[in-house]
Amino acid sequence: MNLDLDSLPLYSVKGIAILDQDGQRILAKYYDQETFGTQKEQKEFEKSLFQKTSKANGEIILLDGHICVYRSNVDLFFYVIGGSQENELILVSVLNCLFDAISIILRKNVERKTLLDSMDTALLVLDEICDDGIVLETDAQAVVNRCALRPEELAFGDQSMHEIGKSLFETARGQLKWSLLK
Amino acid sequence: MKREKKDEEAGTGHPFANLDKTAVFQNTRAFSETPLNAKKCRLTLTQICYMLQQGETLGRTEATECFFAITKLFQSKDAALRRLVYMAITELCKHADDVIIVTQSLTKDMTGREDLYRAPAIRTLCRITDSGMLQAIERYMKQAIVDKSPAVASAALVSSLHLLKQSPEVIRRWANEVQEAVSHENPMVQYHALVLLYHIRSGDRLAVNKLVQKYSKSGLRSPLALCYLIRISAKLIGEDDSGSDHPLYGFINSCLRNRSEMVVYEAASALVHLPKTSGSDLSTAVSTLQSYLSSPKPSLRFAAVRTLNKISTTHPEVVINCNVDLEQLITDQNRSIATLAITTLLKTGGESSVER
Repeated sequence: MNLDLDSLPLYSVKGIAILDQDGQRILAKYYDQETFGTQKEQKEFEKSLFQKTSKANGEIILLDGHICVYRSNVDLFFYVIGGSQENELILVSVLNCLFDAISIILRKNVERKTLLDSMDTALLVLDEICDDGIVLETDAQAVVNRCALRPEELAFGDQSMHEIGKSLFETARGQLKWSLLK
Repeated sequence: MKREKKDEEAGTGHPFANLDKTAVFQNTRAFSETPLNAKKCRLTLTQICYMLQQGETLGRTEATECFFAITKLFQSKDAALRRLVYMAITELCKHADDVIIVTQSLTKDMTGREDLYRAPAIRTLCRITDSGMLQAIERYMKQAIVDKSPAVASAALVSSLHLLKQSPEVIRRWANEVQEAVSHENPMVQYHALVLLYHIRSGDRLAVNKLVQKYSKSGLRSPLALCYLIRISAKLIGEDDSGSDHPLYGFINSCLRNRSEMVVYEAASALVHLPKTSGSDLSTAVSTLQSYLSSPKPSLRFAAVRTLNKISTTHPEVVINCNVDLEQLITDQNRSIATLAITTLLKTGGESSVER
């Protein structure tokens, strides 16, 4: 049987990456084993991608025959990589979905520290947006709903409760110190 | 654990910096404790997935041991933990042996009542299935494809697309269900179903022709599905070695009036790439692209100028009308756009417009 899977690109996305302000990988997934088969190739690509995009305020770049769309926020850089024949606007819709889903989860504090604290959900977001190169979902809210967020993540996290407690204790201690000094 | 906390307070590292593979794998022992500490297990699973995506390599034995530890977590009722289990299994199944051991648990989740489990269970199950086992779950897959929940239907369709390479004969038997899914109201399901239907039929030219005829008239709502239909149509026109006289040419042309920019651009770019089009055939496409040149969105400007650049090699006379807009782009903030604008102008306008 003649099944020509290569005649029309089935896999739109070659890779998704989130880098920090030093160009270090926070999260990355590559779906094109031919171009990004090894860690070395991936890291090298990330390095040149970061060099070319971290200072420029573009949104799209053609690099080594790949179309990369990107956007940044505080200390994070989001990238979606596709083939040179890919429809740019499809890649943008994937990028927007990634960014919006992450910002819903981090409650708009899209920055390195909060992202690292929610690593489990961030990994799931990537998993729900793209299945081995095929765009799975582009609606950010649907993606978030499918990540099975923990109830405490939606309401008041016990982590933040702990932190509030700590800061209250700290202010109390400071006031005590001051009253003693007087 | 203690060291990680300290790192975090110092502000240098983070909970996932300097993870030690052996230490993480030690923590998988907690997976067989009763009662299960869901929070602890979630952290360990996250660390495993994080290590793998950072490029940590796993030995066969290591991966297999870890995999078997994870299978214990199917006992847990914690939804967030369960979701991570599916992902971890998907990541590990390439490295571990005897992964088929989870088939039964996954089949149970895939046919269960909880939608949150069903979709990821289908995707994970299809990763570990081979042709022989696929027949055992065939009935469930057919049901999942026509499921009402978009997450479940999409998961089944996309998984089938991946499986098409290893067991095409089995997947071809699902054509009726897939066809039904094309009319699903969810745009993503519609897209996945159309792509799968095309690939099931791609060996049969007549069937592909019929498929395009049908859906080009019925008006698909999903922009992604429409983009794909445009691509199939362009391929058919190219294969017939014809141009604007082809019946499908009208369909692509009509997509230039679509509400979605994605579809309009796909149509314009398809028309440009057709082998036999005259300059006058392209005028509508060119004027649409021209209007995108002044868009505030960089990617839209990029898409438009890139396509115009292509046209200017074959039909420079059609692009001349856009010269004024292209001149504006020479100073574009985005270097890629500026470069493309300049090279296009060199082909259409000559030196004078570049210098201005």
